Amino acid sequence: MAANANWQDGNTKGEPGSSLHGVTGREPVFQMTMETVGEKEATDLKGRKFALPVDSEHKAKTVRLYSVAAPHMRTFHLSWIAFMICFFSTFAAPPLMPVIRDNLGLTKVDIGNAGIASVAGAVVSRLLMGTICDLVGPRYGCAILMMITAPAIFCMPLVSTPVGFILVRFFIGFCLATFVSCQFWMSSMFNSKIVGIANGTAAGWGNMGGGIVQLVMPLVFDIIRRDIGSEKFTAWRIAFFVPGVLQVMMGLLVLTLGQDLPDGNYAELKREGEKVNDSFQKVFLYAVTNYRTYIFALTYGYCFGVELTVDNIIAEYFYDRFDLNLQTAGIIASTFGLMNLFSRPLGGVLSDVVAARWGMRGRLWNLWIIQTVGGVLCIVLGLTGQLGPAIAVMLIFSFFVQAACGATFGVIPFISRRSLGIISGATGAGGNIGAVTTQGIFFMSSKYTTEDGIMLMGIMIVACTLPVIFVHFPQWGSMFCPPSKATEEDYYISEWSKEEQSNGLHHASMKFAENSKSERGRQSPPRSKEETVGVDRL
Amino acid sequence: MACGVLQCVVRSLAVAALVLASTSFAEAGVLFSTLDESINVAVEIQGQNVTEGPVNRVAKVGDDRLVVSWNLNSSLMGLGVDKNYVSLKLRLCFAPISQLERGWRKTNDDLHRDKTCTIVIANQKYTTDGNSTVWRIPKNVPGATYFVRAYATDERGQQLAYGQSTDQLKTSNLITIIPISGRHVTIDIASGVFSVFSIASLIAFLASEFAQTSNR
Repeated sequence: MAANANWQDGNTKGEPGSSLHGVTGREPVFQMTMETVGEKEATDLKGRKFALPVDSEHKAKTVRLYSVAAPHMRTFHLSWIAFMICFFSTFAAPPLMPVIRDNLGLTKVDIGNAGIASVAGAVVSRLLMGTICDLVGPRYGCAILMMITAPAIFCMPLVSTPVGFILVRFFIGFCLATFVSCQFWMSSMFNSKIVGIANGTAAGWGNMGGGIVQLVMPLVFDIIRRDIGSEKFTAWRIAFFVPGVLQVMMGLLVLTLGQDLPDGNYAELKREGEKVNDSFQKVFLYAVTNYRTYIFALTYGYCFGVELTVDNIIAEYFYDRFDLNLQTAGIIASTFGLMNLFSRPLGGVLSDVVAARWGMRGRLWNLWIIQTVGGVLCIVLGLTGQLGPAIAVMLIFSFFVQAACGATFGVIPFISRRSLGIISGATGAGGNIGAVTTQGIFFMSSKYTTEDGIMLMGIMIVACTLPVIFVHFPQWGSMFCPPSKATEEDYYISEWSKEEQSNGLHHASMKFAENSKSERGRQSPPRSKEETVGVDRL
Repeated sequence: MACGVLQCVVRSLAVAALVLASTSFAEAGVLFSTLDESINVAVEIQGQNVTEGPVNRVAKVGDDRLVVSWNLNSSLMGLGVDKNYVSLKLRLCFAPISQLERGWRKTNDDLHRDKTCTIVIANQKYTTDGNSTVWRIPKNVPGATYFVRAYATDERGQQLAYGQSTDQLKTSNLITIIPISGRHVTIDIASGVFSVFSIASLIAFLASEFAQTSNR
């Protein structure tokens, strides 16, 4: 009775989780009795019903793409659209490059440097964004970043020198950190069983912005030139107001309509004692001392990083090697990015499907296989000399490289509960470092022809994917090693000191540990008596 | 669901490959090295004195005009060299210094792939007496160093001969063209206004949220 009164009137105080039914991992008996209330009647702290079925952490258990119900699906759509617009802004210059390079007198080195600058800024901002999400929430992180980088986009129309161009592309590139807030948000809103597809779809559709922009910016440029009658060198500048305005509008929408967690915003939850302020030092410490952070930062550089590099060089490659005109080369370039519509989500889906049967070990194998095949196809692309086959290989290659990105983020949410933000950020940053590295080594100088560069990049992909073999979870195992007797609770509680545990700070992690038992896969026997009661109902 | 999408993907890839394999790409064209230099071309910047020496002449886009005059090389007059010449195409071409590190302006002996002379000055009918044209430099010409070349073509547009206003090495008698910046005061102002709006609305929003939460 007392428990009912607590969550219904919203004045929840004291131990987080004690007044919400069926959530504490320490009271399996409560889980059984609360079960009869039914998950469909789950409500947030204010007593509002959720539109989707939710688990014990109030994360959604399904994804309904056609819905915009608050908070889960609304967050989903806000998140991916915001990220897509940031991708759009970052890659708004490449499709107009023939005009810009004549206006500013750019050389190939200038263009190469600008390409590297556009993805280098996000290395730092993605690392910072992880921390920001952990501390103030993804809603603020995403919106503030978008609205602070919007002035950089508005500076592009003012650029008149190569140095100015490189600097502006550098600052615009910071907004790619919305990827981290997007993934963090998805991981906070969707249950571990479907986090793969949620993350993959949101990020994939966001990445599509890199393809959409190759079609939209030339169109806008044409309209401005024809209908407003501007000169070429003025029209491209006006065209840049489109990404700028879109970004500001989206930032405002995220602020007004977004919500950090299923139960509310960080500020409200902190006030009501539901969200505890975490210490940055601890969060940072547990991220940097976890070796898995570094492995995934490296491997992500060779799926997402490669994707960014290819976005920058593929139009020129087809233009030069196969003597196409700029429009045709641009259309082919856009298909690479547009494959993201389904390839990245499918990578996440495959990760989830494989995990249902084989758990985390399946997810790791899935990632390694997909990314290695992507590397092999990259080698083949560099060696293909006919136009038709080259396009076919490129499309299949794009599928695998983007699916690998989706598969990576099927694993990331499980590395740490406490430091999820920083780890997501580090992985994202690793992706951008990979882009900087591959562009710098293979595509800047005349040492390698572009086709040789692509082939060598493929070899590097295969080599840098091997470290996935060494990722081991004590409770789930690794690609070649079975799990030990450790449990999910052991793993996630190790991030909290004894003192913090006595203050009850670890309860959210314990809820997560309970929900993550699905990563054992279907065949593993239960390890303790408690777990024979109804865990699999989730 | 995954299988169905995969099948669909494979099928569309096959179709795409077929369609695109039949895309015709550039056919080989006339080789520049096979052309005779039978045309004389001279360029003047209207209203300016001719400068000799290492300094290039300078022309401004939009203000200055180029006067291009051409005629058949006097030593080839009456020999029937020009019997197939139908039209004369005048082009503004990039000098080597402006092609440096810019592969999109590369010189290629195959005239179909050659990117040296992409800016059109005029297309004129060929006459044995020669002709000239006055060309106001349009605003979309990039800032670079140029020379002028004339291609004599037959009725199908195939190049038969050429002439240019510079020497074989393309280092003498060049013209530097000063472009427009493309910037406008109105664009600058709009940029400023939008940027300020972005930051100001963010601050206003955060302030109001902060006030709301601290009032409760």
